[in-house]
Amino acid sequence: MLTAMKAPLLAKLRRCLGRENVLTEPSELVVYECDGYTIEKNQPDAVVFPRSAEQVAEVVRLCNEYDVPVIPRAAGTSLAGGCLPVGGGVVVMLTRMNRILEIDLRNRMAVVEAGVPNLQLSRALAGTGYHFAPDPSSQVASTIGGNAATNAGGPHTLKYGVTVNHVLGAEAVLGDGSIIQCGPLPEPAGLDLIGVLVGSEGTLAILTKLWVRLTPNPQDYRTLRVIFNSVDDATNAIGDIIAAGIIPAAMELMDRGIVEAVEAAFHFGFPLDAEAIVVIELDGLSVSLDWQQRLVVELCNKWHAREVLQASTRAERELLWKCRKMAVGAVGRLSPSYCIQDGVVPRTQLPRILARVTEISGKHQVRIVNVAHAGDGNVHPILLFDERDKEQVARVLAAGEDILEECIRCGGSVTAEHGIGVEKLALMDRLFGPTDLTAMRRVRDAFNPAGRLNPGKLLPSANGDQTFRVGASRRALP
Amino acid sequence: MSSNHEPSKSQASAANPAASIGFELFLDCVHCGLCTSACPTYTELGDENDGPRGRIYLMRQIAEGRMELDESMRRHLDRCLDCRACETACPSGVHYGRLIEPFRLAVEESDKGLAKRFDWFRELVLFRLFPYANRIRLAMAPVRWAQRWGLYGLAERLGLFRLIPGRLGQMITLVGPPVDPGKKLPSFLPAVGRRRARVAFFVGCVAEAMFRHTHWATLRVLQENGCDILIPQGQGCCGAIHYHAGSSEGARRLADANVAAFELDGIDAIIVNHAGCGAMLKEYGIHWHDERQSARARFAAKVRDINEFLDQLGLIPPTGRIEAVATYHDACHLAHAQKVRDAPRRILGQIPGLELRELPETELCCGSAGTYNLNQPEMAQRLIRRKLDNVLRTGATIVLASNAGCLLQIGREVRQQRRPLTVMHPMDLLDLSYRGMGLRP
Amino acid sequence: MNQNPESSVSPATVELPLKEAVEPADQEAVAGIIERAWKDGIPVYPWGGCTQMGRGARAVEPGMGLSLRGLNRLVDYPSRDLTVTVEAGLTVAELRHTLARHNQRLPVDIPNAATATIGGAVAASVAGPRQFRWGTLRDYVIGVRAVDGSGMVFSGGGRVVKNAAGYDLCRLLTGSYGTLAVLVQLTLMVKPMPEETAFVIVEASDHGDAERILAHLVRTRTLPSAVELLAGPAWESLGDGLASRGGFWIAVGLEGSPDEVSWMVDQLQAEWREAGVALWHTLHGDEAWAFWDRLTEFPWKAASNNGDGELLVQFHVFPSAVCELVQRLRASQPRASIQAHAGNGVVLARLDIAAEQAAAMVEQNLRPMSASLGGRAIVLKQPRGSDLSRQAIFGPAPPGWQVMQAIKRQFDPKGILNRGRFLLG
Repeated sequence: MLTAMKAPLLAKLRRCLGRENVLTEPSELVVYECDGYTIEKNQPDAVVFPRSAEQVAEVVRLCNEYDVPVIPRAAGTSLAGGCLPVGGGVVVMLTRMNRILEIDLRNRMAVVEAGVPNLQLSRALAGTGYHFAPDPSSQVASTIGGNAATNAGGPHTLKYGVTVNHVLGAEAVLGDGSIIQCGPLPEPAGLDLIGVLVGSEGTLAILTKLWVRLTPNPQDYRTLRVIFNSVDDATNAIGDIIAAGIIPAAMELMDRGIVEAVEAAFHFGFPLDAEAIVVIELDGLSVSLDWQQRLVVELCNKWHAREVLQASTRAERELLWKCRKMAVGAVGRLSPSYCIQDGVVPRTQLPRILARVTEISGKHQVRIVNVAHAGDGNVHPILLFDERDKEQVARVLAAGEDILEECIRCGGSVTAEHGIGVEKLALMDRLFGPTDLTAMRRVRDAFNPAGRLNPGKLLPSANGDQTFRVGASRRALP
Repeated sequence: MSSNHEPSKSQASAANPAASIGFELFLDCVHCGLCTSACPTYTELGDENDGPRGRIYLMRQIAEGRMELDESMRRHLDRCLDCRACETACPSGVHYGRLIEPFRLAVEESDKGLAKRFDWFRELVLFRLFPYANRIRLAMAPVRWAQRWGLYGLAERLGLFRLIPGRLGQMITLVGPPVDPGKKLPSFLPAVGRRRARVAFFVGCVAEAMFRHTHWATLRVLQENGCDILIPQGQGCCGAIHYHAGSSEGARRLADANVAAFELDGIDAIIVNHAGCGAMLKEYGIHWHDERQSARARFAAKVRDINEFLDQLGLIPPTGRIEAVATYHDACHLAHAQKVRDAPRRILGQIPGLELRELPETELCCGSAGTYNLNQPEMAQRLIRRKLDNVLRTGATIVLASNAGCLLQIGREVRQQRRPLTVMHPMDLLDLSYRGMGLRP
Repeated sequence: MNQNPESSVSPATVELPLKEAVEPADQEAVAGIIERAWKDGIPVYPWGGCTQMGRGARAVEPGMGLSLRGLNRLVDYPSRDLTVTVEAGLTVAELRHTLARHNQRLPVDIPNAATATIGGAVAASVAGPRQFRWGTLRDYVIGVRAVDGSGMVFSGGGRVVKNAAGYDLCRLLTGSYGTLAVLVQLTLMVKPMPEETAFVIVEASDHGDAERILAHLVRTRTLPSAVELLAGPAWESLGDGLASRGGFWIAVGLEGSPDEVSWMVDQLQAEWREAGVALWHTLHGDEAWAFWDRLTEFPWKAASNNGDGELLVQFHVFPSAVCELVQRLRASQPRASIQAHAGNGVVLARLDIAAEQAAAMVEQNLRPMSASLGGRAIVLKQPRGSDLSRQAIFGPAPPGWQVMQAIKRQFDPKGILNRGRFLLG
């Protein structure tokens, strides 16, 4: 931002929001130069903390007046640089809009401000018999607004769907500073704007309030951990379970490499020589879980399962899930740096993509361990390296790119839940054709014609303008 | 720091406060942000600068020489409660305490080199009063006197203590109504029934001055559980107040006195019943690197929180019924620093008649945090209000906490809001059950 | 190009001002036709099975009829992936048949399956009773290919069940009535077919009683697929002499394995007995499957006079307001047949009315009735001979209207797609 413009804008922001809700000192802005994706950094010019949609709208209008980018952010857990202030600008923090406004069980709905952490809503719902289904691994910190903006997933999407399936309505501030409310009742005469806003990564509007669907808690669970002698056996068993007409709540795969890290961190008691461990959770009516479990065990045995164990207590189930959800963090114990990828393939291509990951690991001499939301075909290969070794970094970048290219070849996509952000911009035109991207640009131009909302994200610029275009050297670390 | 004093650049850079911190400790942080929502100040303020990830990032900027410590950074770092809830939340095992604590020590040290205003509170109250139980008791005499004559409650209601400047006023209001402390602690107490263990008991300073009744309850519970108890002479304050207020040297002296006072051979454990002291004692082995480090480490290895110890030993179930609804607040220094969470719940769960309800946001600090409530009263106030709101939501009539600071902080808010709540240490309640006394007014 | 300009492609049931009608055989041909129309500035009126053509206003401007029925290939069905890719003109019946061979289904109720096409159903976002548990087509379309108003072919989504790359064009196009683009290919998620079904049906004495019963379902331990509230002449008999006493029926549809269904039937009956609700009837097996069909077909099944005099209105309110709305509807229109997907707040009312009274009925009676409960109403079908304006059919512009118009301009700059028929037409 030009200094001459900066001072009056900042003054107006302070007047509008109050001094305590505007950060402008470089030493206070520095922590906003990146989110969960740290390979690229850029400081914003200011950070503001609005407390209402009207204040967000006022900030957007002021930024329009001074032609300054606006970057929405809440918990900042994006792994794709969704909150990176690419061209500077004003970061709009939604963390002070964190009230749960209403829990309406009769209509199976909750109304929350965008900055409410996912887990806070879950806790508020304890005892009601209902829950908010999306459960990304970041759920302890990430907000409902952020979950909606990135259409977050999680292990239980296999049965319950992703965030968009659970958003009934949204209040949002558009690029021109106007406020719209879509839903919570369906709009039979118009377009499904909610469907478009969810997953738009803050490039179409800033979500300020959400109406979300509440899902009844399952009556019962069966949580199994199955040990396989090969990853191939595991993925084949997973395919057979789905094909048999059983949709578990979750099917999570961990390979030998990650099990080693998880064991070091949590001492669960996994055998260290197991090539693959699959956590299968069946939920639903108690009456059907026994036969479902029998069938699942049968299919696992068909693929030479070495051992099938059922979590017998609630505490054991919780520990098992903790091991799975914290698995990625535990990788920090194997290596100084790591890069987690987020590819997705049709379920039946799971054996192929994991085999290719192994080949790619060998080809680039990069150690790769795997976790996967296997039931959805969503793989998270984790590439291990030391960021201080530039030559290793280059190999990791190349390997990551190879993996995602392979996902595309398998009929999949380059991201299932992390989003494009800045990290995967360069892959968009490999995944989509020029007309597909044109169609998406039209959507953006309809909502955000001036392009000031979260610029440089999600869509590569049409004219090949390199300012916001991400080169290979900027991608994927760590 | 006075505003007309400007530290010269050379002075500031000469003493990089992050210099003594191993850089690999910073690298453990992968910047995922999962810690943020566990942090009380972030939860209240929603600013990355007031969350663990942001604070680590700030310290790292300084460690790397990318930035110099300025007023605003310092404000954010000072606002940290050091409750270490972030360590519990962190999946990649960042030792946050080992970053912020030495960093703060170094900042304090470098402050000494500047012409700094004499901090009477720190020098007189924290360092000269707190470590000594008898001095605390003496200092409390006027308060006690006022309480005896019924003036204290009046003053509290009228808010007169707010007229007493700053941190001292804050501190006075923490003192609750008088409880019969019981006799002076003896040097030995025998087990009741078959002897199952032989332990030594750590007494502490604030705990001894203000919670001697809880000490007695703890000792009786230990006896009931078949423990011979030694209470060694020559022990004193654990040193936590010094350490966290930036006096590493003072803390080291106190630590060494304690190490010398306890004869480790022939005891199964050193029992401590307040989490703040327990956490400090357990970290004796890592804070200082000198020739006595291994002796301190041996001492630390024997330290057990009372809840942890009884749980491991196997509690002999009490039989006295206590018909009440209680909720348990996780003291940061027990849950996060010592990772003791289930033991107190398992123990309290064995009191017949007691219904234990989970406290929402139990892992969030109450705002006490050592001397935090004295130094950061505004944030401390926000946190204790939030804590008490959560307590009230449970419908409990008893709130339990295993730490002196939490008990004082929660107790004060309960009095000020005039809530019908009893604030107790789990051992107080357990003792009542063993003695079949039920709940007394 | 393999098109068939014969008059046979013109839909008999629809009155469209057609200059010509074509039925291209492949997707490229569709693009070519639209591109030509775009150059000439001629409106294009796409259709599939013509089962939902009653929706929208009557088109006035002569244009090109575009039948999608020639695009009827099953493109790919990796059944183990639980996805299927089809061309838009495939009939719903054929799709169901194909899926059933692998014990799978698309759990969205689409009436007139023999002629309805999947593309048409998606364009109109047709949904029925099962939306309570299973959602609507928006939850199943994971990939689209479509032709915009200039003949440009584009795709959105893909073939994976979880995809965070780019904007969700699938949802944008689902329910857009062909006003942004003409759908030519779809990838859908599918689900395993349940083995068993049943309906537990109770009768409520009045709307207060009905609300009490529905509110009680919030706590049920069962997992209903549908929660239906039924009233009026169409629901006077359940067959076999089971006649209603004139109140409301509440029918809860249960699906799953035989074990699950039989447990849920027992459980629900027990829950209701405990709440003092008088049980009326339970349907099992074939009877229950047939009842699903009856519920699905209700809105479009002509009751009398070939349905020529029927007005069909769809309301959207909060589930908690359904009983109140139904009560007001019955008070005002005692002969209306009503089906409410009560768990979702969707209420369908079918009434016989003279063509010239339709506009007043909608604008002065029905729409204010839903608005007073915070809801919306649209006309799904108007009596033959009436000519409701778009405003009368759809009501006031929805929130976000300016954005919707901007999107329309982007995708169909000359406004040739379904011109004059829908709000965005």
